[in-house]
Amino acid sequence: MFLEIQYINKSFGKEQIVKDLNFSLAPHKTLSILGKSGCGKTSMLKIIGGLLKADSGNIILDGNDISELEAEKRNIVYLYQEDLLFPHLNVFENIAFGLRIKKQKEAHIQSKVKEMLELLELEDQGQKMPHQLSGGQRQRVSFGRAIIINPALLLLDEPFGSLDAGTRQRMQQLFKDIAHKFKITSLFVTHDLKEAILMGDEIAFMQSGKLKLYKNKEEFIADPSTGVQNEIGFWENLIPKGQNII
Amino acid sequence: MKNKEKHIGFILFVVFAVLPFTLAFGYALLYSFGVIGIVNEGFTLKFWKEVFTSSTLGVSFIYSSVIALIGVILSVSLALWIVLKYRESFGNKYLSFIIYMPLAVPGIVSAFFTYQLFAQSGFFARLSYQLNWIETAQQFPDLVNDNWAIGIIITFISLLTPFFILLYLNIYKDERIEELSQLSRALGANKKQIALKVSLPIMLKKSWVLIVLYFIFLLGAYEVPLILGQESPQMLSVLILRELKQFDLTKISEGYVMAVLYTVVIMSATVFIFSRKKLRNNAY
Repeated sequence: MFLEIQYINKSFGKEQIVKDLNFSLAPHKTLSILGKSGCGKTSMLKIIGGLLKADSGNIILDGNDISELEAEKRNIVYLYQEDLLFPHLNVFENIAFGLRIKKQKEAHIQSKVKEMLELLELEDQGQKMPHQLSGGQRQRVSFGRAIIINPALLLLDEPFGSLDAGTRQRMQQLFKDIAHKFKITSLFVTHDLKEAILMGDEIAFMQSGKLKLYKNKEEFIADPSTGVQNEIGFWENLIPKGQNII
Repeated sequence: MKNKEKHIGFILFVVFAVLPFTLAFGYALLYSFGVIGIVNEGFTLKFWKEVFTSSTLGVSFIYSSVIALIGVILSVSLALWIVLKYRESFGNKYLSFIIYMPLAVPGIVSAFFTYQLFAQSGFFARLSYQLNWIETAQQFPDLVNDNWAIGIIITFISLLTPFFILLYLNIYKDERIEELSQLSRALGANKKQIALKVSLPIMLKKSWVLIVLYFIFLLGAYEVPLILGQESPQMLSVLILRELKQFDLTKISEGYVMAVLYTVVIMSATVFIFSRKKLRNNAY
């Protein structure tokens, strides 16, 4: 497997936030992780990204144990719920940031960023500052900035949580297209049931620091603890049987 | 109703800010051209010629600018370093008290404090003598009323640094620099790159107007250079006041020429800064 997480544990004081985290993920796949606020999903992502130190356990990425490696050397990008664009840099420089850090040649940076701007449909926005963009545009820049450095693993922490329904839907499709085009391996954390089902090749549910992986989406839907059954029940009760709402 | 409030605000601004300034500036201008003044005899350019042919004002302006620039640069650098290195320690109430306490100390008190500590008859000189590091007071480095304005610069730093620490702590929080730093790490940046490409540019960009305003403030500082400065050259405000209080009444107009020139330079700089800021804000 491309990513193997082995017995990760993390506590803050007496409270155990992540309990015996164990899962693996094949390359170029997206694992959706559904979980309510405070269930430990952000801590889990930060541990994998190297931004938080685990109390125990190992992280194997592409055959290498990266558990003790510093965040900047893991080639894993953690994306926050908010776009977190650099406020002092324009769109072009925000996307170019990772390439400049890696001291790539200027011609290479120019061509890669222009290509990315086109892909994100932001070709006319390169010189704009972050505060001049809409929420959806900002989130696209954030994706572009992460993807352009070709990360081994992308960690997405409720990336569309602050977007309106329409923009969120467009962003979900855009992410799926980009993930497919760039063969991205990712963990996609969300508290939105529909988003979890839509975005993942595989699906998991996190509750009180424990992660449960499902063999397929049918098993996930059938599990009453995920809340899918409640959701189905809600809609069935709302629409009387046999009535066609269209 | 809103229009009425706007008008009242405008009238108060004119009455209490624009009018006194205009009258004072007009008075100084007329005095500088010899139109008013007890021994002046009517319009003349001789006082302006005197000031421009003498190097006193130019030297004082350069001297004041260098001191203000060094004071601001060192204060900002020290505040940035403290915030980036020790921001978490500010949760400690004793440490934050020590850092913020100087904010409540007036400039004149700070100047006396510096004098008491760093003069050749001051605390550190006496301590050095007691420790047998020096044998006479003259052996202690000249840090007050000295050629290099070290006493003035030390006082400026002690006055400005707490303010900039407070400012940068707020910017660090408001601009979410902690999260941006973590993100930069994930994008491959090391600590040095984070500081140089993320933290410092954001904090400096957010504070540059205040930095320039504090430079202007230091340029016109009076009490501190009066107590800790040397006889010549003097900082601008001290020089201008000295000229205005001359026994030779014919020289007073030269003091007003200096005051007018100083006001024009400062006002132009202020208008330039704020018009640029406004332009930038409008562009957004």
